[in-house]
Amino acid sequence: MLRRLAISFAIVIAATGASARTRPHYGGTVHVEIAGDAWERPAGLARRLVYDGLTQMDASGALRPALALTWEQDNNFHRWQFRLRPGVRFQDGTAVTSVNIVSSLTASCSANCPWDAVKAVGPLVIFSNASPMPNLPALLASDQFLIALTATTEGRTPASAVGTGPYQVNGFSNGVLTLTANENCWSGRPFSDGIEIRVRRAVRDQWLDLGLARADVVEVPAEQLRQAQQQRLSVIQSPALVLLALQLSDTGVLGNVKVRSAIAAAIDRSALYNVIFQKQGEVTASLLPQKMSGYSFLFPTDRDVNKAHELRGGLAAGALTMSAEGEGAMQLAAQRIALNLHEAGFNVQMATPGAQHSDLVLRQFLVSGNDCGAAMERILWDAGLFAPVSEQAPEDLYKRERSILDNHRIVPLLDLPRGYAIGARMRDVHLRADGSPDLSAASLEDAR
Amino acid sequence: MSLRQKLLLLFSLTVAAAVAAVSWTVLLRVRQIFEQRDKDETALFVSQFQREFQHRSADVAAAIDRIAGQERVRNMAFELVQSGDTAPFLNEAQTLAQDARLDFLEIIEPDGNIVSSAQWPARFGYQEPAAKEEAAQPFLKREELPDGSSALGLFSVRAIHGSEPAVKLIGGVRMDRTFLADLPVAPGMQMGLYSEAHGEQADSTNSSGFDAKNFVGPEGAVPGGAKYAGLIDSARKRGQQTSGILYLTSRREESVAATAIPLKNSAGNVLAVLTVAISRNALVAEQQQIRTIAYGVAGGGILLAIIFSLWIAARVSRPVEELAHAAEAVASGQWDARVPVRGSDEVSVLAESFNHMTEQLETQRESLVQSERVAAWRELARRLAHELKNPLFPLQLTVENLARARQLPAAEFDEVFNESTHTLSMEIGNLKKIIGRFSDFSKMPKPELERIDARDAVLRVRGLYAAGTEDGPTVDVVTELESAPMPMMADPELLHRALSNLVLNAKDAMPDGGTVTIAARNRENKIEIRVSDTGQGMTPEECERLFTPYYTTKQHGTGLGLAIVQSVVADHAGTISVESGEGQGATFVIALPRADA
Repeated sequence: MLRRLAISFAIVIAATGASARTRPHYGGTVHVEIAGDAWERPAGLARRLVYDGLTQMDASGALRPALALTWEQDNNFHRWQFRLRPGVRFQDGTAVTSVNIVSSLTASCSANCPWDAVKAVGPLVIFSNASPMPNLPALLASDQFLIALTATTEGRTPASAVGTGPYQVNGFSNGVLTLTANENCWSGRPFSDGIEIRVRRAVRDQWLDLGLARADVVEVPAEQLRQAQQQRLSVIQSPALVLLALQLSDTGVLGNVKVRSAIAAAIDRSALYNVIFQKQGEVTASLLPQKMSGYSFLFPTDRDVNKAHELRGGLAAGALTMSAEGEGAMQLAAQRIALNLHEAGFNVQMATPGAQHSDLVLRQFLVSGNDCGAAMERILWDAGLFAPVSEQAPEDLYKRERSILDNHRIVPLLDLPRGYAIGARMRDVHLRADGSPDLSAASLEDAR
Repeated sequence: MSLRQKLLLLFSLTVAAAVAAVSWTVLLRVRQIFEQRDKDETALFVSQFQREFQHRSADVAAAIDRIAGQERVRNMAFELVQSGDTAPFLNEAQTLAQDARLDFLEIIEPDGNIVSSAQWPARFGYQEPAAKEEAAQPFLKREELPDGSSALGLFSVRAIHGSEPAVKLIGGVRMDRTFLADLPVAPGMQMGLYSEAHGEQADSTNSSGFDAKNFVGPEGAVPGGAKYAGLIDSARKRGQQTSGILYLTSRREESVAATAIPLKNSAGNVLAVLTVAISRNALVAEQQQIRTIAYGVAGGGILLAIIFSLWIAARVSRPVEELAHAAEAVASGQWDARVPVRGSDEVSVLAESFNHMTEQLETQRESLVQSERVAAWRELARRLAHELKNPLFPLQLTVENLARARQLPAAEFDEVFNESTHTLSMEIGNLKKIIGRFSDFSKMPKPELERIDARDAVLRVRGLYAAGTEDGPTVDVVTELESAPMPMMADPELLHRALSNLVLNAKDAMPDGGTVTIAARNRENKIEIRVSDTGQGMTPEECERLFTPYYTTKQHGTGLGLAIVQSVVADHAGTISVESGEGQGATFVIALPRADA
């Protein structure tokens, strides 16, 4: 009998404990460390915590309402109207109105926007354009079009960044951005009371801090994912949603499409994949990953130096400059590409840091969501080559992408994942569709 | 130049030459000693530097050796060989290089491909030819860098301990300004490194010329870098250590004793040239000081020598000068000139002899004058007796004839009387004439010089004698004159008298008639007047005695005519000579000074 009682007690205790672990607690401060800046686009961690967009993508990549509750197109995608979610306020208490939305969008995109005009009509925000905008709702979910308060009701410019997101800015000192929970967030109060984001911290130091429990969330660049796993860090990583691509200028000798084609043929993707990025993600020669488009394998990824020589045709290209966005592996990859191009007869020199213009730029493009057309349009927008992508059928998309890539202004190289290492006390940390950690839904194990 | 000046010059030159020779020898020797010292110091510094360089090479080798022996590196090599996966070790070289403070480090697979490169991480997978180096010793290599440049480095290769097949490490340090700055240098020593950006491919003998941009020292550009061009080029071409003195500016103090050491790779190509320059400032200053002292001593010595020379020359030359002055005085007729006699040396003996000689001369001269005076009186008496005796004998005969004629009848007496008085009158006239000539000779006046033209004098004489005489032989007087002026300072009356005498003599020499030619011409700074006749001429003996007073070849001559001519010519600072031969006539040549135009 006693034995049965003891077993029953043990089961109850175990069940209670299990129940306690699964229920998140409010409170506590999450310590995050990153190598870059918290506000920089497209992956600034603070942006998604402080701001919301009119639309958003859930973790699966599906488009969801955010500040806009509904939206509908008119005139064959030439006009879109977004109806705002009622009762939403900015973190300083200012009501979110269509006027605020239009003001924010105008501030974030003053020229070469995907639309010709945006206006506020009552609770509606109306976009119009001469050409169709089939993917505007998905584009508005991107990082650039997050809504920020540009002017208070008194007409003053806010002292700090003010949005409608789950956290609001409390201050920035000694390289640490302090965010506190937005109690009146339209999507609900986040679990943790605050987040401290230490910026410009070397990855090596981030990992040390994680080991010493001085950080709860740290970055794991794609090229160090394997190492992090070897070190038995608790790593969460996204699918391969970051497109590593070389963007080529179309001026000077690069105005010749054959020269650009030669450059594309000269690059050894396997070395980038196998060594620099430590076999993370996948090699690609298409804008959209295989998993998303299904036709990526049709684009050859092999290097062909002879073809590169042939295409270059003895053209003395002169010295081309090359730069890379980001540090570490990005710079290394750029140097490797420069070496590849040197073998193909190109004289490529790395641009000095801070150089305004480079002939070749190694960049990362975010490929998020389930909509191929929207994702492609988003890449083109980020590359400054914006053109609406209205194709929906895979064969049409393939043709469209083929036509884009045949121009060789963008040379896709790799699809890379994003990764973070999580501390032992963090619970329910998931990655968003763009690969960033959704800290609003996360909680601390030891929070009281 | 006087004897004293000659002696002074001689003594001074002798002493100056001696001092200069000694100074030159001393300075030459000093320079040789300093240069040797300079060379020794330079060699010492270069030797020290080379030892330090070798130490650095050994440090590099030791650092690579230490890395190759690390447990972690051995494990890496093992994993690499076992798995063949190089990706995990991409950044290993950077970490190892940072820990070992190396500028260059590469991990090389057994097949020679780069696994990881600290200096150019993107070069993984490429071949590294230097991995084939089997040399145990460090070597030089030019390493290409990601920015397109290249850097010279001191490298060493080691196989990672225990790896089979061998995984190698090749690493080194950059040879640049920092490397130079870390090397110990002595005060006044300056180092520089010359390396061309892409020198490894080019053979040193074919490489382009010196470019100062590629020549750096620990603090940047080497001052006066271009001056090293020759030395560096020589070291590059010859591939051997080269030394020399370089003058960085025109000032000797700013010169250096430089040595260029070629740095070669294992193939023997010169990749760079290391220069070690030692300032010669202190050395030149010391040399300058010694030279200044030497010049001061030499100058002082020469000055003293001149002063002593002056004193000695004065002491030696004074008696000689007194002798010379006394001799000049004697020559000018001051027969009583004497020199003081000091001491008993050769000059004193000479002075005594001189004094004695002058006393003798004075005595002999007085007796000679007396003898000559007596001889002259005798000659005069003889001449007078001779001259006067000729007219006196007819006078005596005439008077005796007149006395005898007193006995004759009156008509005859009158006839005799008239003839006798006529003869008497004529002989008395001869006597007067003789006496007049003697009187004229004794009364030769001092010439009163004035500027005249010789042509005028000649033409005046011709005008006087051209007409000739009715009863005498026919003598033509002709002149040959230059058209150019012949100015001269002369007394016209005396010159006229002299020329007249010569013309009369010429006429006398031609009793059968002939031609007297008076010619005048400019000859250099003289005016030559020639009076020629076409008579019988004279023998050389006659010519020799012609100007002796009272000598005459004429039956009734006094022998004073030519003596007067000679006297006049001498008074005009001229000369007279005669050119003649028997049967060829005679020519008297007078040369008188030409007056300035």
